[in-house]
Amino acid sequence: MQTFLQYTILGLAIGGSYFIAASGLVVTYTTSGIFNFAQGAIAMLAVFTYWQFRWGWNWPAPLALLMVLGVLAPLLGALLYQIVMKNLRGTSEVTKIIVPIGVMLGFQALATWIWNPTSSTPRQFQKFFGANAFVHFGDIKVSWHEIIAFVIAIVIAAGIRLLFVRTRSGVAMRAVVDDPELLQLNGGRPERLAMISWAGGSFLAALAGILIQPMIGSAMSAGQLTLLVIDAFAAAMFGRLRSLPRTFAGALVIGLTTTYVIAYFPSKWTWASSFRNSLPMIFLFIVLIVLPQDRLRGATVLRLRERFRMPSIRTAWIAGLVLMIVVFCLKVIMERTAVNTLTLALTFAIIALSLVLLTGFAGEINLAALSFGAIAVIVVYHFGTSGSGAEARTTLWGILLAAVVTALVGAVIALPALRLRGLYLALATMAFGVFVSRMVLTERNERDIFGLKFTIFTAGQLTIPKPKIGPFDFNSPDAFLFLCAGLFVVIGIGMVYLRHSGYGRRLAAMKDSPAASATLGMSVIRLKLSIFMMSAAIAGIGGVMMAAQIGTVNSDRFDILLSLSLMMITVVGGIGYISGALFAGIFLIAFVQMLDLTLKKFAVDYSSLEAIFMFFVSAVTVLPATIGITMGKNPSGAVSDIVEGLDQIKQSKPLMFTLIGLEAAIWALTATEVITNWHFVILTLINLLIVPVVGGKIVIARMMRGVPKPIPPELIGIDRPFTAEDLAEMDHALNLEGVVIPSAGTVREEASGVSA
Amino acid sequence: MSEINYHEDHGAVEGAPLVELVDVRAAYGTIEVLHGINLSVPQGAVVALLGPNGAGKSTILKVVSGLLQPTSGEVRLAGRVVNGVSADELARIGLCTIPEGRGIFPNLTVRENLWMATMAGVSLAEVEEIAYERFPRLGERRKQLAGTMSGGEQQMLSMARALSVNPSVLLLDELSMGLAPLVVANLYEIVAQVSQEGVSILVSEQFARTVLGIAQYAAIVLHGTITRVGTPAELEDELSAAYLGS
Repeated sequence: MQTFLQYTILGLAIGGSYFIAASGLVVTYTTSGIFNFAQGAIAMLAVFTYWQFRWGWNWPAPLALLMVLGVLAPLLGALLYQIVMKNLRGTSEVTKIIVPIGVMLGFQALATWIWNPTSSTPRQFQKFFGANAFVHFGDIKVSWHEIIAFVIAIVIAAGIRLLFVRTRSGVAMRAVVDDPELLQLNGGRPERLAMISWAGGSFLAALAGILIQPMIGSAMSAGQLTLLVIDAFAAAMFGRLRSLPRTFAGALVIGLTTTYVIAYFPSKWTWASSFRNSLPMIFLFIVLIVLPQDRLRGATVLRLRERFRMPSIRTAWIAGLVLMIVVFCLKVIMERTAVNTLTLALTFAIIALSLVLLTGFAGEINLAALSFGAIAVIVVYHFGTSGSGAEARTTLWGILLAAVVTALVGAVIALPALRLRGLYLALATMAFGVFVSRMVLTERNERDIFGLKFTIFTAGQLTIPKPKIGPFDFNSPDAFLFLCAGLFVVIGIGMVYLRHSGYGRRLAAMKDSPAASATLGMSVIRLKLSIFMMSAAIAGIGGVMMAAQIGTVNSDRFDILLSLSLMMITVVGGIGYISGALFAGIFLIAFVQMLDLTLKKFAVDYSSLEAIFMFFVSAVTVLPATIGITMGKNPSGAVSDIVEGLDQIKQSKPLMFTLIGLEAAIWALTATEVITNWHFVILTLINLLIVPVVGGKIVIARMMRGVPKPIPPELIGIDRPFTAEDLAEMDHALNLEGVVIPSAGTVREEASGVSA
Repeated sequence: MSEINYHEDHGAVEGAPLVELVDVRAAYGTIEVLHGINLSVPQGAVVALLGPNGAGKSTILKVVSGLLQPTSGEVRLAGRVVNGVSADELARIGLCTIPEGRGIFPNLTVRENLWMATMAGVSLAEVEEIAYERFPRLGERRKQLAGTMSGGEQQMLSMARALSVNPSVLLLDELSMGLAPLVVANLYEIVAQVSQEGVSILVSEQFARTVLGIAQYAAIVLHGTITRVGTPAELEDELSAAYLGS
């Protein structure tokens, strides 16, 4: 009984803290319609900042609290809204999900940069009034901190409830969600309300972080605290992101069950602690499953800012060929390590293809691509290899089996999510991803599964050999590079074929309007399920290739944060393009690593400037997230800009030949070792990225010179009278050539004739 | 016609028309939809904007309400230029707009909807009194979510806001849309009463007949320009031509 009460109180306190974080989510979601994935990251930043003030600089607790909760956290929230989230109006659901994820990854990298996790002295974070401040109720010892946490949770629950129902500003915050424009017509200021709510949400996140850190009782970890948000997600989902009482109940249920698991699971159940860590995910998944079906929408055609064009099949073949040639040329001049990096980048590009297929083509979201990769890797490790030692090879059958298994797992994940869209599906996949990381990839003990002695993740790492398919052995780095490049090209071209098929058009239709698709007699469910399975299989194949390239992988390789980064960078590259996936792989693996190496090399070469270069080395870790955050301003992605630039180059033959000629010259110089690979990389970047953009502008300027600005057709007749040419063109566009239109007089006579 | 032409003397606030548009051009993105609109609404008058779908009536109202900034020209309220003033500021100084398609918040209760109206500077008790007196139905449903009421009741709610905030200018966009003819007649009766209290009203309407009974002046809007202004009697003949596009 004493244990029970002890753990109940701890559970209530932890649940209360979850509620505080979750209520922040509800507040920001309610007023801005943006789900703040960065809620946990804000909490994490607050915990580290508070630690810095309180124990790093020995400030008194009230001052440190005032500074963090009263000043910095609200300021951060307000700035986030003003600088980043405000720009998300009118973007697609994917962008609305990706940008907060970018913020989350950015904060995470920032914290690791400022507070080095490998620091020699462990950072101690203590409860309020110290670790020994207890109150005794009979036999039970309760720390003041736990009491404070629970009381604050109740106060906040009541406070927010009052705010939303009893104050005009609170009601106005709810009104903003319905119709910001109408609120303005009423005399309200929607932007200011949204900013205030973000400040409040950020305050709540910070408060939750400071309360919960000493109660989870482990060392301060940026990653762990960031993912804490998922526990809050689950609680917020209980209340469907609206109802605070239900969110409160959900948070307490999660808090209590997790502590009871610690208290009562027998110690011989070695999986109990993984299970405890996965519980919020399991809750989240269950809640999402029992959520009522999302209404099929389609009544309003959203005017989105994203635009994607699909290449023709011919263009796809040419692009594929060009890619193979480029990879070959690079292989000739590159060092061994660089070849390895390029291969790894290509394997990530294959995984990113699964995201292009799912999100770009079908509008569904998967935030855990690498978790599907992890499952494929486990399958290959156990069933898909032949030979041993240096002769070990991954078999074709192993890869195919892995693809089938991941597709089936994809189906299992997607089935409940089929009724959901956008944010909810994204959360379900994220829950799955974290579940795989915490529950499956931590399985290092032998288990008796279906009478089979089995260890899922042997010794915390799996070794995947290079594949051998029929007579072709891909063990050498070069051969494997071409296998990965070829695989990317084949899957990519296959996807272009798919997009041009009837199936692809159905996907596009479903993405635009599920309701219209359903009324046209399509089976939306079958469509969603099949695309999810296909996408999971591609992610699985990519994951196997990645593991084969690395050789031996541990569970960190499939971390949810890496999945999120990949998704984010694919969106940055252009989620609707095959080349967007290539961009993601190259950028995330090769480009970031190259920058990192270049800067470190400079730091060594110019040792007097070492500090500056090392600063940039750290800055590179924040770079992908920073780019992700800018998506709100350019939702079509970087590739679309490059494609537009290249399009203009096609118009101008001299420019195109200059570009190709220059690149060939740079390559030849490198191949003959006149210049080093470093120069090659830098010159190529300049040539490929800057020439099209600058050149494109010059071309446009030249074409525009002397040509009058075209008048949009709807203004002809108003800004200038119709010419015979205009009329002929209009007739042609409307297919009215040769049709004689009766004069206005006859029309009116006919009309009056009808009415009489 | 001459009464509502725009006045040359820019400084004169006294006796100036309440709403005045001078050579206003406006665009959505790069596409210009208003090509130089001149219009004025005298104190206490009802001016109807008539014209077919897509002519630019709603855009004119958007410009006046401050939701869309004109690309050139001037918008004046009581003689003062209000270009660049935001919609919420205009609402707080006495401009009331009922946008197209029910100006209500569906997920707020009736009472909370009325509460939002108080941002224009009236007390909630006052708003509720006026609203429930005029529309007893709303009083019965004060705790109901506005989105769950019928179309007519929703339009009542938005009208209740217009009545209770005591505006100097009222902008009504397509009041009749999707409503039964009886309800529309009822609503326009209320509009007429409001105008008799001295409120200047600018109303856009696709179905001309319903509004011509209460309007003192009407302007025909075609392709983003005003082609004709006059009293309803003067315009009677031209209306059918305007709608048939000859």
